Amino acid sequence: MAEPVIEACRLWKRFGHVEALRGASMAVGRGEIVALVGDNGAGKSTLLKVVCGAMAADGGEVRIAGRRLEPASVITAQRLGVDVVYQDLALAPHLTVAQSIFLGHEVVHGGWRAPLGVLARQRMRRDADDALRVLGIVLPAIDARVQELSGGQQQAVAMARAVKWSRRAILLDEPTAALGTKQTQIVIETLRSAARRGLGVLVISHDMPRMLQVADRIVVLRHGRTVADLHRSEATLQGIVLAMLGEEEARGAAPPS
Amino acid sequence: MPRRPADRPPAAAALGRPAGRLRRAVRWGGTHLLSAAVGIAVVDVGLVLVFGAITPGHAFLQLSNFTDLGLDASEIVLLSCGSAFLLGARELDISLGANVILSSVVGGRLMVALGGPTADVQQGIYPHLTVAVLVGVLGALATGLAFGLVNGLIVTRLRVTSFITTLGTLGIGMGLSYVLTNGSNIAYIPSQLQTDFGTATVAGWIPVPALTVVLIVAVLWFLLNRTRFGLRTIAIGSSRETARRAGLPIERHLLALFGMVGGFAGLCGVIDLSRFATTDLSGHQTDALTAIAGAVIGGTTLYGGGVAVWGAVFGALLAVILDVGLVILGLPTFYQLIAVGVILIAAVYLRSGTERRSVWGRLSALTRRPGRSGGNTQAGSEELVGGEVEM
Repeated sequence: MAEPVIEACRLWKRFGHVEALRGASMAVGRGEIVALVGDNGAGKSTLLKVVCGAMAADGGEVRIAGRRLEPASVITAQRLGVDVVYQDLALAPHLTVAQSIFLGHEVVHGGWRAPLGVLARQRMRRDADDALRVLGIVLPAIDARVQELSGGQQQAVAMARAVKWSRRAILLDEPTAALGTKQTQIVIETLRSAARRGLGVLVISHDMPRMLQVADRIVVLRHGRTVADLHRSEATLQGIVLAMLGEEEARGAAPPS
Repeated sequence: MPRRPADRPPAAAALGRPAGRLRRAVRWGGTHLLSAAVGIAVVDVGLVLVFGAITPGHAFLQLSNFTDLGLDASEIVLLSCGSAFLLGARELDISLGANVILSSVVGGRLMVALGGPTADVQQGIYPHLTVAVLVGVLGALATGLAFGLVNGLIVTRLRVTSFITTLGTLGIGMGLSYVLTNGSNIAYIPSQLQTDFGTATVAGWIPVPALTVVLIVAVLWFLLNRTRFGLRTIAIGSSRETARRAGLPIERHLLALFGMVGGFAGLCGVIDLSRFATTDLSGHQTDALTAIAGAVIGGTTLYGGGVAVWGAVFGALLAVILDVGLVILGLPTFYQLIAVGVILIAAVYLRSGTERRSVWGRLSALTRRPGRSGGNTQAGSEELVGGEVEM
């Protein structure tokens, strides 16, 4: 594995009597796409939330580029270079594409206009356009409002935003859920493009056949533990399903490889 | 001529081309000419013409009437624009009327107290006129600002919804005003405030308070459409969660918004004092609702994410035009309340689900539809980097 950008070591997380994470560990290297798979309740989303700082673990630690994520907060993780694309995208429907990409990172004019926070709108539009082009994303217009875009296009904008501002890694929770084939392909290409730019990419997805195509490694969680960490060359659909469900449960459920 | 950056996308480089200009003009027209603001402005002008035609001697169209109209409109227009900002951020302030009254009471008390000995003041003699007026005006503005900030603090720190918060402070503000005045309006406000500001005009007919408000509205439009503050206001109203995840200082922003709108109420308190040389304890209790109605009629959405500053101006003007017109016609002004209520419901209905199915909505959508020019930068669309912020 390339130089690790994210390392999650022996994470524990408890919700009342439920132990969502029980010593799960994983790592994402620079320029690497890692798929995090597991059955419902395996702890995937909890692990992602802990890694992005949205949730503090009860035990274990998260290191980003070798630095401990402390205090555990989204802002700390962002400062360390990690951005998240949430399942619900986290885009404001009334903003334009350019505004969405720059929200929270707005560019303002210098000089007397700086204290007034006067936006450098043309520069933001150009830079947003560049950010989309680099990822090979073509949208109808940079000034289109988010609510005017299709689901796939919105996903692409959310990813372009994350890729633009993350310096080390992006985390994605089910980025292709509820998308059509063409839209899913846009997202997959964007993932590859982000990895080629040197970002570590961690993806949660139930779409295992596609993850087998796109991911460099596949990490399997079961009951809050890491039960498999497979390189793409050694991963098969059947092997992943067996690891996800446990051999006894999988015996009757696994599809043919 | 400024050089075009070499890395500028080809689509953006086409900004100056005739086709780009044409598309730009069509999109500008689609967005602005079909916007609610322009629609309400047309209704306003239509009403002015109708009243002009039917009032005896065309009294409504006389210049002096427009002076009165401007004066009457200045306070409610300002409050309406402030409400539009709050609604854009998905908040509202129904305590604005109480804030106007309390601000004018505090300002009035300060002016009378600092003007000089009671006997002199009662005869209209103010040995310390400048200090009294200055401190009184600043006191009213500070009261309005503080009132707004208290609203903002309760909303952001105590997490009480803005409706409940401002419903509470509406009562508190009114109560405090009555306590401070024993229920009687404050008299003996220096008349110089009237002559120098409240009833003063520029070019013989433009009232200074109205001009002041127009300047503030222009600044508000700029703030909304051209600055980080405006963008963040829309973002916070459009999706609070998105704003939070983007790391925006939501609480600080809302506090600033409530403070700003409170400051406007303070200014309205000053305008009130300067127009009538007294307070108006019973005159502003429905101001907040009128202001919100004006904003909504003008195209601001109640659900956040859309602010129409000029729409709020024209929406608020509608009520004032009706009011003045009915007075000149000698008809009871109660009809104005009914008309505004009907227009409010009709305006919101027309813009709701039916919008996209209507000819208007389809036209609007057609002209907003982004073109495909190979890149993401829509040729000639710089006017539109504003999402739903518009006129």
